[in-house]
Amino acid sequence: MHAWTWVLQRISAVILIIAVGLHIGFLHFSNAGEALNYGEIVARLKTPVLIVFDILLLIFGLYHALYGLYSVFLDFDSGKKERVVVLGLLVCVGLGIVGFGIFGLLCTARSL
Amino acid sequence: MCKPLQVKVFRFNPESDVAPKFDDFEVPVFDNMAVLDVVIHIQNYLDRSLSFRFSCRIGMCGSCAMYVNGRARLACRTQVSSLKTRDITIMPLPNFPIIRDLVVDMEPFFDKWKKIKPYYVPKRELDEPVTVQPNSNEREFIDDMLDCISCGCCYSACSMVATNKDYLGPAALNRAYTLIADKRDAIRVERLKVVDRSYGVWRCHTQFNCAEVCPKNIVPTRSIQNLKRRCVLKKFGIFK
Repeated sequence: MHAWTWVLQRISAVILIIAVGLHIGFLHFSNAGEALNYGEIVARLKTPVLIVFDILLLIFGLYHALYGLYSVFLDFDSGKKERVVVLGLLVCVGLGIVGFGIFGLLCTARSL
Repeated sequence: MCKPLQVKVFRFNPESDVAPKFDDFEVPVFDNMAVLDVVIHIQNYLDRSLSFRFSCRIGMCGSCAMYVNGRARLACRTQVSSLKTRDITIMPLPNFPIIRDLVVDMEPFFDKWKKIKPYYVPKRELDEPVTVQPNSNEREFIDDMLDCISCGCCYSACSMVATNKDYLGPAALNRAYTLIADKRDAIRVERLKVVDRSYGVWRCHTQFNCAEVCPKNIVPTRSIQNLKRRCVLKKFGIFK
């Protein structure tokens, strides 16, 4: 279990470095000097590639952050019960945020 | 004549003292003086009740490890001149229970050492000796890691050991690696199972505190990272 989660943490780290760079580059530097209005931003969010990219960024970003938090928790002495509770809590928070994020992205895409 | 050293020494006897304290001593300096000479001088001429542990005096036995000026060091191999100050503070190694003054209880350290079965187990089915090429990269790496004298400096510097009493620690994991990387060993997979636990290699966050203080210049973090790699290979069924 630890080996898989550790490998995924490393993979997500590499993906995040690339994806966050692309995300910042695309959203903030590709239209330098031009002020976009709300409609243009929503139109851009409708792009299927961008939707998939944002969903992946959300999933890997959350996994990386929440596994990091769990890892910090494990660094301190804790019983099995506490570990299960914290892990369950983090999984619920992660799934909740991913679900909400995907819902928000899809709703925005459908709104036009 | 050189100015004498101003030495602060941690004092604590759990059987009689309510709380630890520091005693101040003035110690004359001589050429090539080591920190071990300082505490020996204090015990011989200033306070005979000072307790500390030492044996070989040549950095081989690992028994005189102390926390000197904020860093775990071997007292016998630490020249006073290398500290670049006349003020010296000597404390017992952190992360260990204190027996008295500068003497710490090494039992938790060696209990973890035992968990990884720190001895070589030969493969019984082999009729002929296994040839390990002396110029192979793996062999050279194990040779470096075998220099460990189990002084406990790395264990005392590790922040993960400080927060998690079950964590095996850098020394035991380094020893485990030297055996797991040795293809002649019969219980490599069993050993790998012991370190592939939450309190094993996965607690190491590659902070390199262990490597920073190792008097033998070993990098246990490197061994631990190699163990992690082997744990992953085992999950993929590649490690045999």
